[in-house]
Amino acid sequence: MSAGVEIRNVSKQFGNGVQALDDVSLSVAAGEVLCIVGPSGSGKSTLLRTVNRLETVTAGDVLLDGESIHTAGRQLNALRQKAGMVFQQFNLFPHLTVLDNITLAPLKVRGESMTTVKPRAQSLLDRVGLGDRGNSFPSQLSGGQQQRVAIARALAMQPDVMLFDEPTSALDPEMVGGVLDVMKDLASEGMTMLVVTHEMGFARAVADRVVFMESGRIEHIAEPENFFEPASGSRLDLFLGQVLR
Amino acid sequence: MNSRWFWHGVYALVLLALALAIYAASRTVDYTWRWDRVPDYIVAYEDVDLRSTLTGIVEISDGQVDIIGTQDAAATETFGDLDEVLVEDGDYVFDGDVIGTRSGWRIGPLTWGLVVTLQLSILALLFAVPIGLLAGLGRVSTNPAARNLAATYVELIRGTPLLVQIFIFYFFVGTVLSLSRMTAGVAALAVFTGAYIAEIVRAGIESIPKGQMEAARSLGMSYGQAMRHVILPQAMRRTLPPMAGQLINLIKDSSLVSVIAITDLTKAGREVVNSTFSPFEVWFTVAAMYLVLTAGLSLLIRRFELRLARSDG
Repeated sequence: MSAGVEIRNVSKQFGNGVQALDDVSLSVAAGEVLCIVGPSGSGKSTLLRTVNRLETVTAGDVLLDGESIHTAGRQLNALRQKAGMVFQQFNLFPHLTVLDNITLAPLKVRGESMTTVKPRAQSLLDRVGLGDRGNSFPSQLSGGQQQRVAIARALAMQPDVMLFDEPTSALDPEMVGGVLDVMKDLASEGMTMLVVTHEMGFARAVADRVVFMESGRIEHIAEPENFFEPASGSRLDLFLGQVLR
Repeated sequence: MNSRWFWHGVYALVLLALALAIYAASRTVDYTWRWDRVPDYIVAYEDVDLRSTLTGIVEISDGQVDIIGTQDAAATETFGDLDEVLVEDGDYVFDGDVIGTRSGWRIGPLTWGLVVTLQLSILALLFAVPIGLLAGLGRVSTNPAARNLAATYVELIRGTPLLVQIFIFYFFVGTVLSLSRMTAGVAALAVFTGAYIAEIVRAGIESIPKGQMEAARSLGMSYGQAMRHVILPQAMRRTLPPMAGQLINLIKDSSLVSVIAITDLTKAGREVVNSTFSPFEVWFTVAAMYLVLTAGLSLLIRRFELRLARSDG
């Protein structure tokens, strides 16, 4: 079920000349949970978005389950199904109910029938603790609930990899826990996860490895137990000093 | 509360003053108002002549007139409910002779004009919406051919007067493709309105946050699927009010097709003026008929919007 991601020498230069990613290579094994941290503008979200080609690259490539994402032609849509994505702003479809949000892609993209999709959607909703909200519209849910629906929506396509782009950054503090619990649950089941986050506690507890990015480069990569004990005076030390206070 | 009534009073007074000014202005040109002539051109109660379509002998029984054909005895024609019978039993009538009259309501030329105007507007709208949708999608497309074609269409149409476009459609396109007046008129209006709808559609699509497209694409949807299932349903809801406004504009713009001799409300007005010599009354009436149409529509639209706003999930 799970698959790996291989980021190979990816560079990205925006039209305005800003170098967002500078020759980044990173290999994520199947079942691994990788957290990416770093100051804003360090390129961590851009890196994550190159994994399913929401962001194009200037050089390099990303292999998803061994297949090239950035040279893919028509099969790009099929490849993208292997990587579920969760956004900072949830991006639920406001004109559809929670259940329709979850079933839309399986129905329209994969051509599955409602009889197979609906039970799956319902069990996903149960799993994120929103089993009774299937007929609600996104605007009737709290931020935390919306984000959990967004996770269920991504999981409905039965992806091999999950990409989380600051999933708790837009949430009220009391909503963060519920979303992180769902993510922990997912990690414990062996899902490959790339998580861009500011939640150091989550990174420390769940991640197999933590990546520190700065200025479009990977500055440091380590297991959590080593990551959070950096050499004093290093950039990572300064960064952790700021976020952990 | 008192001051509110005061200002309502001011409003009424200003309107009254305007009406008086119009009346006074017409007095200075020695104009005789003949409002009584106008209603006949909207609906009239009048006698209609009924004519025989056969050549034959008349038989009358209980006020019912039967014509028995002389060339073919099996052919008969029956006239009932006549208000006035102009033939007698045993008369020999020819094809086309008046048998009697029946009075009834007849729809006047202004009402017909109104119907034609509505017909033109609805037909043009039916074609303008798909044209506008296609051009609007072209405007936001990343394909340079589609984008530039759509932009050229919109610029061309919005940069030239509708009246000139109608002439071009009638005299050039209409001649080349041998279109009827009505087809040429509908085509000109549809192409014209389509350009404005394209801009409405483009604005609607662009008002949807980028994250919606990204979420749809990240689920594996193609661009077309994302547009159809995610972006357009949301965009359309937002474009309904300006779209409805465009329909009202279309009704007003349709008055210009009277220049290619389509008897819409405006052309009917001109014809009625020619036969009544009452231009003031007729044009005020025509304006009021347009106003009834557009005001009725905007009322409907406002109700519709309220309902949409309430159901906005």
